[in-house]
Amino acid sequence: MWKKVYEWLDERLGLNDMYTNLLDRPEPTGNWWNTLGSASLFLFVMQGLTGIFLTVYYTPSPDHAYDSVQYIMEGVAFGWLIRGIHHWGATLMVIVVFIHMLRVFFTASFKYPRELTWLIGIGLLLMTLGMGFTGYLLPWNQRAFWATTVGTQIAGSVPFVGEFILKALRGGPDLSALTLQRFFSAHIWMLPAMLAGLIGVHLFLIIKHGESHFPTKED
Amino acid sequence: MNDETKKKINARYESELNKGERFWPDSIYKDLIVSLGIFVLLILLATFIGVSPEPKADPSDTSYIPRPEWYFLFIFKFLAIYGQIPILGKIEWIATVAIPGVAVGLLTLLPFIEKRPDRHYVKRILPISIMIIMVVGIVLLTFTSEVPTVAADGSKMLGILQSISGLIIPTLAYIALILMSYVFKSSTRTMIWTTVLASVSMIIVSGTVLALHPKPVVEETEVATTLVDQITAGQDLYSIHCTECHGDDGSVAIIEGVEGLEGEEITPINSKDVLYTITDSAMYEVIAYGRPNAGMTPFGKAYGGELSKSEIDYMTIFMRYMWDDRFEAPVIAPLFPALADGEVPSYDVHIAPIAKRYCISCHRAGKENNNYLMTSYEEILTTGDNAENNIIAGDEKSYLLQVIQEHAIMNPDKPDEELIGVMPPSKALKPNVVDVFVRWIMNGVPQTADEAAALFAVPTPEPAATAAP
Repeated sequence: MWKKVYEWLDERLGLNDMYTNLLDRPEPTGNWWNTLGSASLFLFVMQGLTGIFLTVYYTPSPDHAYDSVQYIMEGVAFGWLIRGIHHWGATLMVIVVFIHMLRVFFTASFKYPRELTWLIGIGLLLMTLGMGFTGYLLPWNQRAFWATTVGTQIAGSVPFVGEFILKALRGGPDLSALTLQRFFSAHIWMLPAMLAGLIGVHLFLIIKHGESHFPTKED
Repeated sequence: MNDETKKKINARYESELNKGERFWPDSIYKDLIVSLGIFVLLILLATFIGVSPEPKADPSDTSYIPRPEWYFLFIFKFLAIYGQIPILGKIEWIATVAIPGVAVGLLTLLPFIEKRPDRHYVKRILPISIMIIMVVGIVLLTFTSEVPTVAADGSKMLGILQSISGLIIPTLAYIALILMSYVFKSSTRTMIWTTVLASVSMIIVSGTVLALHPKPVVEETEVATTLVDQITAGQDLYSIHCTECHGDDGSVAIIEGVEGLEGEEITPINSKDVLYTITDSAMYEVIAYGRPNAGMTPFGKAYGGELSKSEIDYMTIFMRYMWDDRFEAPVIAPLFPALADGEVPSYDVHIAPIAKRYCISCHRAGKENNNYLMTSYEEILTTGDNAENNIIAGDEKSYLLQVIQEHAIMNPDKPDEELIGVMPPSKALKPNVVDVFVRWIMNGVPQTADEAAALFAVPTPEPAATAAP
């Protein structure tokens, strides 16, 4: 019976092809440092899942943001755990993605034929930092408010277009309800959508070229 | 890169694949172990460290020292160090945009800058050295981010040391490494030693900075997270800021004993008229803006008062839950633990919360109180115009005991003039609170709970009562 179901699905989905092409691939002898990429992916998925749960109660307005986070921490069953994982996951993700970049740098895995994988990887690193920057404001507490104030100020110091960037980020000359809305939208829609898309390309390239081998004296 | 090199690289990779492993299950298995480890670590961090509570954002509180997220701290520190450079340091965008921009640009274009196919570290010593010094610098800047470049006493010592480790050594090392690589064609060994030397000296200088800089005392702001905590915090704040005019239960209709507002008629703020008609946000605004026409000063920081947004929120929550009969108040722990027979109260456990609730509204700096301050153990015992008589351990003629028992102290020089009126002026303390003061002063004003416990006189139990079958 199960065999029949499997065969029916295989005919339509190509499960066997998927197995031989995706899973049963040869790889160079692995190294524990090579797990950092999948660890970054795991953290991205965790951040996505906990983030989705957080949006159930979170309200992105200056009047309610702080109280809704407070409610998640005190009122919602296991809300503290979800927020705790999201909070620490952000920190860990920045660390893991950064070390992943260092690993690729030190083993020179970015060289032919993996140049494009590196370019996309740098995009992913910068977007991870962007996720951290936009997510930091959302609890609307003192630390968040002032960190974003100085953070956007730095962006505003760009010559000529600085003022425009500052106003575009803040939605006006000062931090306001608009800033919170903007950061919320960037944090839950724009950046994750771009991240997910680029992660897809990154993974495709890794499967296409295979994981690079650890360099020896011959390389 | 010509086709021959490409072919060579691909052939080399083929040979690695042949003696390699399978993606499933060999590689996946390692990935799963690491991901599981991270998952466990996340749960442990969330459970045992958690997210530290912070007060609500308050745009008017300019005294708050802004700090970015920890992973941007190094850029901040770099900015501060860079700002010390004469002339060039004034052009902010070089440090905020140009230098990070160039660094990110180089990193992005790395595959097109480092085009040689060599992959082993011995053949890539220059880029690896540059990256190591960069990472050491980033880590050290992050760790020293709390240290100011100009110390409180105006000394620039720390700032100079920080620029040595964060700017001068790395710059010199980069110049030396590039010269060694392209001009002198130095050996790999020399370049490795240069990198090690630069990194170690950066670590030593930064270590010195951290050792010289006294750890700043971080001012912990208390954040009430549970409803009970918020009500208690609100009640304490109410007691300090509002009791003078509104009374400790909000029932005052005619202000007494407040200079400038004597005899002013006000609406009792615990009445249904007020509580049923004013929303939380209106209540917030009245406290924050005050009622200048009715003599109520603003209390919000934004308008010259001393209360933050969170603090005013706690006060409105307190008023709602304690006075508004539509709200059901949660069980709130009593202000101080009830005293057993013969038990001696201590300052820490009993007197401090009582003084905070009933006394320091007036008995703190900047109020009219005969200079008697009650915000700490030392102040209660030693301050005031009548310090020698206010509290005399073991003497029931202590002024404090007399005035809280409705007995004003007369001026010895002018017998018909009050030296100290009854306290608190608006409403007498409850008998159990007076009892705490009496026991505390009569038993020698102990400060800590341990000192008080040593004075505990166990009353002789009555054998008849306990021996009943």
